[in-house]
Amino acid sequence: MTSKSSQVICPSCGAENLPGTLFCVQCGTYLPSGGPLRTEPIPDQEDEQSARPPRKKEGDAQARAISLEVDVTNSGRKVLLSAEREILVGRLDAAHGIFPELDLTTDGGLEQGVSRRHARIYTRDGTCFVEDLDSTNGTFLNGERLTPYLPYAFQDGDELMFGTMHISVRIHSESERQGSAVAPSAPDEADEADEASEEEALS
Amino acid sequence: MAEAEHTAPIQMEVQLNRAELPLLDSAQMLYAMLDLRSKEALNISRRRLNLALVIDRSTSMRGARIRNVKMAAMDLLETLQPDDWLSIVSFSDRAEVVIPPTPVRERRSFSSAIASLLPRGGTEIYQGLLSGLTQVERHASPDYVNHVLLLTDGRTYGDEELALHATQQARKYGIGVSAFGIGEDWNDVFLDTLARKGGGVAQYISSPSQMREVLREEIQGLSKAVVKSMSLRIEPLAEVHLSAAFKAAPYMELFPCDEGDKTQEIALGGLTAEEPIVLILELVVDPQEKEKKLKMLHLQLEAEDVHLQQEIQIPISLSPEEREPPARLFNFLERISVFRLQEKAWIALESGDAKQATSYLQAAATHLFDMGYRDLAKSAMLEVGRMAKGRTPTGRGRKKLRYGTRSLSIPST
Repeated sequence: MTSKSSQVICPSCGAENLPGTLFCVQCGTYLPSGGPLRTEPIPDQEDEQSARPPRKKEGDAQARAISLEVDVTNSGRKVLLSAEREILVGRLDAAHGIFPELDLTTDGGLEQGVSRRHARIYTRDGTCFVEDLDSTNGTFLNGERLTPYLPYAFQDGDELMFGTMHISVRIHSESERQGSAVAPSAPDEADEADEASEEEALS
Repeated sequence: MAEAEHTAPIQMEVQLNRAELPLLDSAQMLYAMLDLRSKEALNISRRRLNLALVIDRSTSMRGARIRNVKMAAMDLLETLQPDDWLSIVSFSDRAEVVIPPTPVRERRSFSSAIASLLPRGGTEIYQGLLSGLTQVERHASPDYVNHVLLLTDGRTYGDEELALHATQQARKYGIGVSAFGIGEDWNDVFLDTLARKGGGVAQYISSPSQMREVLREEIQGLSKAVVKSMSLRIEPLAEVHLSAAFKAAPYMELFPCDEGDKTQEIALGGLTAEEPIVLILELVVDPQEKEKKLKMLHLQLEAEDVHLQQEIQIPISLSPEEREPPARLFNFLERISVFRLQEKAWIALESGDAKQATSYLQAAATHLFDMGYRDLAKSAMLEVGRMAKGRTPTGRGRKKLRYGTRSLSIPST
């Protein structure tokens, strides 16, 4: 006896996918049902093994982190970074196009086990997240090793460790700036002009 | 699940996204992740190199490009060891051997030759490539890493097939090819194919100043190979089909699967101690009638002194054990899915379906944004905006997306 099966219909674009498909072939949407015999687990707030990034509802955004003050403990270097964009933490490797916003090369990154693409830090609806990028020596938040590719929320004054390199982070937030972008909008002509001038500079 | 054999410097590990497959009366999808890692520690003796640097000196290389190529070539001499061998070939409409294979210790003969390169004429890659391969072959030996580095900024017309064939032939003699595209005008699909057949890499050099770093990194990768050049034979057994094969790390790459021939041979290039190679296989399993252990795949990895074989099986069950896919596999799949969407966009665009292309690219942008890659998402939306107005995407945007998304899974060392 076999189970009757049907194609998995993508909830986002309606495309038909074979049972077992994890990402819709047409639009890339995650298909958690994964097939007719798969039971959907009940969402568990505490379950850190879930591979999906935690999402906050819109309207949760009261404050929006706008800058991070990073203090590299061993070198004493302080860096102020804008959290408007994602911050890649790692070591510069121009050959592979890796240009970390927080480049720890000069702080002894290699010796202290910092990977080239070690972790990323980003904000979503005013909360800061750190995500280990499957680094060799791991990322730690207040002493706890992070599961690779899972975003962990962190707060002002929390202690991060990349490999064996200690870093403390202060979050400078600005509560008057509200609203969260839900989808990127097509940049206007001004952006195109910027790109064009950049292009000229390179050729 | 798998049986490995032989003691080799490489280990091959296979993980599936499910522990058991449900017994279904229709075809279903399954994913396998292959991890190839070096068993050796980091202190492996450096490999000696036998390289040819093949330089495009067509008219379009005038100015900063040729200046930076010359600087990169001089810098290459510093990076190489005295007992490495190097030849330099320049090409435009025809090829010219600037320096035949010469030990790097004879630096002086290189410097004046490099300085004398003058940009002039068109771009005919086959001529240059063939000459480069011939120079490497003159000094080729199993004791060396034999490799051609091709630097170009333009499109070649009509000789693509010849170039691909020559590259494939050269692999049989242990000669690899890597390709570096400078600026925005080169044919990315062609250079990708060339490098894939050559077991090397294709890289995008967006600014002339990157050239030195990119070459230096490539040399380090070649000289640190634990095994020089690997090839993987993937043989799906009865009731199983390979629908797609990807390299997920060190960077993403799609291996086209030929419809007619079930067994696939993939050239994987070298493996270093620092960077594992990860492959993702997308498998379609035929409808099943009863519970059993299904033999799915036979894998065979070949390299110098390495012969690894593995057979992959999975139980078919009426009440299969359910589990979340391993997080690492899940994340590779998520990134591959985005890489694939933008690749599909360019294919749709080439076949004249701008609407479909826009939809793929928009989907890619949404996922990139969702995953926190805002820069790439913005680049994608910029091109979506252009296409919505009936304009063609920029070469720069296309290359930024193609080479940016393939680096989403660059592993960490």
